[in-house]
Formats: sequence, structure tokens, C-alpha cells
Amino acid sequence: MTTAVADTHEGHDDHGPAKGFTRWLFTTNHKDIGTMYLIFSLVMFFFGGSMALIIRSELAQPGLQFVHPEFFNSMTTMHALIMVFGAVMPAFVGLANWMIPMMIGAPDMALPRMNNWSFWILPVAFGLLASTLFMPGGAPASGWTMYPPLVLQTGDAFPFLIFSVHLMGLSSIMGAINIIVTIMNMRTPHMSLIKMPLFVWTWLITAYLLIAVMPVLAGAVTMLLTDQFFGTSFFLAAGGGDPVMFQHIFWFFGHPEVYIMILPAFGVVSEIIPTFSRKPLFGHDSMVYATASIAFLSFIVWAHHMFTVGMPLTGQMFFMFATMLIAVPTGVKVFNWVATMWRGAMTFETPMLFALAFVFLFTIGGFSGLMLAIAPADIQYHDTYFVVAHFHYVLVPGSIFALMAGAYYWLPKWTGHMYSEKAGKLHFWLSTIFVNVTFFPMHFLGLAGMPRRIPDYSTQFADFNFIASVGAMGFGLSQLIFVYVLLTAKKGEKATDEVWEAPYGLEWTVPSPAPYHTFDEAPMLPERAGH
Amino acid sequence: MERDADTKKGVRRTALILALVAIGFYLGFILMGVIRS
Repeated sequence: MTTAVADTHEGHDDHGPAKGFTRWLFTTNHKDIGTMYLIFSLVMFFFGGSMALIIRSELAQPGLQFVHPEFFNSMTTMHALIMVFGAVMPAFVGLANWMIPMMIGAPDMALPRMNNWSFWILPVAFGLLASTLFMPGGAPASGWTMYPPLVLQTGDAFPFLIFSVHLMGLSSIMGAINIIVTIMNMRTPHMSLIKMPLFVWTWLITAYLLIAVMPVLAGAVTMLLTDQFFGTSFFLAAGGGDPVMFQHIFWFFGHPEVYIMILPAFGVVSEIIPTFSRKPLFGHDSMVYATASIAFLSFIVWAHHMFTVGMPLTGQMFFMFATMLIAVPTGVKVFNWVATMWRGAMTFETPMLFALAFVFLFTIGGFSGLMLAIAPADIQYHDTYFVVAHFHYVLVPGSIFALMAGAYYWLPKWTGHMYSEKAGKLHFWLSTIFVNVTFFPMHFLGLAGMPRRIPDYSTQFADFNFIASVGAMGFGLSQLIFVYVLLTAKKGEKATDEVWEAPYGLEWTVPSPAPYHTFDEAPMLPERAGH
Repeated sequence: MERDADTKKGVRRTALILALVAIGFYLGFILMGVIRS
């Protein structure tokens, strides 16, 4: 029998949350920490989003209108750093904190105090990064890739950038250790590894990626720091160093990083589609193997980001074909999602709408990725808006739509109330329309030769840029509906324990809202617990 | 739920191994930079 424990249960931890600010500062509860991660990431989403709107305002017309070119470069750099490390990654960690213990029948994360520390490092890291906006020389402006020697021209902000990246990495590594340790040691004994829900599986694999690559980024920026302040020449050609080596090291981190932001999204979608298709996930085990294959391949494709540096033909061929190979396990996933829906009794509540849009629009991003994988073609596309269109299709209607889907899906379990379905659907439709208005024209701009990271452009690019800017404003405003949904989340009708019609998984066996402490004894798996 | 001794040991061992792997990647890549430059 599954046992969910309410706040009044008897035991060593028969207490509810502490009162006031100390609850949040000192909490070791996975649900509290998950909530903090999610709120933090939402704040960063709007902070980074406002920078995107500054970029799109400047680009709405040719010529310089609103900002200086240096500040424009700072905006592109800060927007990326904040969205990648401050919005998308912490949001998935927030979902992991909330859901993984409940999905595997664990009472909490394995290392709760480290969990608290992982979170509270983040506001410090982003406080440091945001403070650079007010420093002499301005905020970092060399792009989120921090390529030397350009990044070494950063003003006073440079050491703050390096330190904040170190802190973000530390937070991610500690979070990843916690997730792996929890999954490997705290599962209910009745749940074997292969029986784990897909969201748990994708997070387990993501956490291994994080452990492997975040230290690599830390190593790269440490070397930048010593090049700048301690007289080393890791990346300085004048001292015998190699700037291209930085690119190799950065992208050895950077490509798996892309999968760190998308594998948990696959997990979320793999939870939602079966629920609203009223069928078990098609090919659960093949989904696990496909995820693991994608993770493995992510380590051997990094140089497709740097085809233009002048690598040997053999190298180009290897990285081209290895990259194309990723389409195979990704195709398995898309096939399985479609097969899950095939002849299912589908309904289209907000989480399902976001999940469906994810499948369709992420695939568009995948296809443009395949185009970029072709080495000779990439030399044409490189550093154009085609690349911007590609990765925004992967990250916005990809990762962010999956996050929205997950938030709507689990919100009733968190709050104990149904959200406003009308507002949710409005949020979905406006987001979907505007995300395409924003990013689809960028494909054409890139193919026509418009370079990325510039504040001004030739008049031939004016029309599509204007359309993209209108789309961006619309998308930004649409997200306020999500804030409305959250603010009114406790005003809807009371949610049942299952919330949806016969969903799969242990998390639906506990009351809604989920009690502060769950599972005082290892739960049995319900009949519909997994695949 | 009180953790049994095996779980406690497993948690410590897994965390330690993962921390060492992370430190290894960090130092390893810096060492690679030292060797290359």
C-alpha cells in the first residue's frame, strides 16, 4: 500500500514547515526547495526575456534606435547566460526536486542540506552577474561562449563573470550529485531501475551529463581567469597558447549542455502524452535506450559548432556523421510519442497542448539542426540568423514549452486546486502563434545572409526583422497570462488526488496538495505506476 | 522514514564517487590545457 503522510503524522519529523522567512532560508524539504527553484527560474525568465525585448526593439528597424552597440552586445550575452543557467536549467531542477522523490517513493532527496545549498548559491551567482550591468566597461559582451581573446577585453565585469559561472557550475554539480544519489539509493525497493518513470530516467541521464561537463566549463573559465590575471597563456597565441583550444573545451561542455536542457523536457512530455492519450507510453524501454544514446552521442559531436575554424576534412566528416546519427534515437522518441497517441482517447487540456506543440515545433528545430550538421552547408549558415532560429526552436517551443507543460500538469498536485483552463489555453495559443511569428522569419534572414549578434543591418532584412520583433513583444506579453494563472492557482476547484483521469505514477497516489512529508514507509507500486 | 545503514552507506559512497569524478574532470581538463600550451 502506498502511504502518504500528512503534516500531522507521528514520527521524528512530524512537523510542518517553519514560519516566515527562515522556512525558505533553512529549508531542507524537497518541495520547498523545488518551489524556490521554480520561482527563481520564472523571475530569471522574465529578467532574461526583458533583455530579449531590448534586442528585438533595437532590431525592429534598420539603423541604431535605442541602445549603444556595446550595450546591445551585453544584452545578447546576458540574455543567453541568464536564460540557459538561470531560467531553463533551474526550472528543470525545480521540477526534479518536486517530482523525483514522489515518483520513486522516497521521503525526500538523499542530501537535503546540500540541496538547500545548491539553491541558495544561485541567487548569489546571478546577483554577481547582474551587478556587472552597472560596472565600468559594462556587462560581459563577448557572447555566452566567452571566446578568447575577445572575452579578455571585458572590463571590470570579467572576474565577476568568471566567478558567477563557477558558482552556477557548483550549484548544478551539487544538484546533479543529489539527484543521482537519490535515484540510486532512495527508490522504493519495489521499483527497479527499468521500471522508473521516464521523467526520472531522463533526469538520471541528464545528471550524469552535468557531472561530466560542468567541471569542464569550470576548467575552461579557470584557465581564462589565469590568462587574464596570472600571466598564463592557455589561449593566448602571443604566449604560445591556442584560442581554438578554448572552443574545443567550451563545446565539449556546450553540446552536452544542449541535451541537459532538452532531455528532462523529453521526460516531461513522456509523462504527459500517455495521461492525455489514456494509454501507457509506447516503447518505454526504447525511450530509455534512446535517451542514453543521445547522451553518449552528445560527447562526440562538439566540433560541429566550429566547422569554420579550419579543421581537417576527416574531422569534419566524423563530426558531421556523428551529429546526423543523433537523429536516429531522436526519431525513436518522436515515433514513440506519436505511437502513444495512436488510437488513444485523446483530450486536449493545457499540458497536452503544450506537449503536442513541443513534439511538432521541437522537431522543426531538430530538422534545422540536421541542416547545420552538414559541414559544407554549415560554412554558409555559420554565425547567421539561421543558427539563431535553430536553437531558439529547440529551446523555446522545445525546453520552455515542456516546462510550461510540466508546470500545468503538476500544478494541481502542488496547490491542491485546478488552475484556470481557459487562461491556460489562451496562454498556449498566444505563445504558440507568437513563438512562430518570432522565430520562423529568422530562418529566412539567416539564409539571406544576416549575421547574428549585430545591432544594425542592411535594409534588405528590414521586413522579416520587423515581423520577428512584433512576435517577440507578443510572446513576452503572453507570458503574463502564466503569471495570472499562478496567482489564481489556488482559487480554482479542489483537485482530486489523481487530478487527471487515471494518470500513471506514484505521485498521483498522494493527496492533492502533496503533504509536506510524503512516504513514511516504502510504497508499493500501484498497478498503473509505470509503463 | 529512518534510513537503514545500507542506504546511508550507499548515499555516502555514491556522493563521494560522483564528487571525485567531477573534480577529476575539472583538474583533468586544466591539465590538458597545461600540456597543450
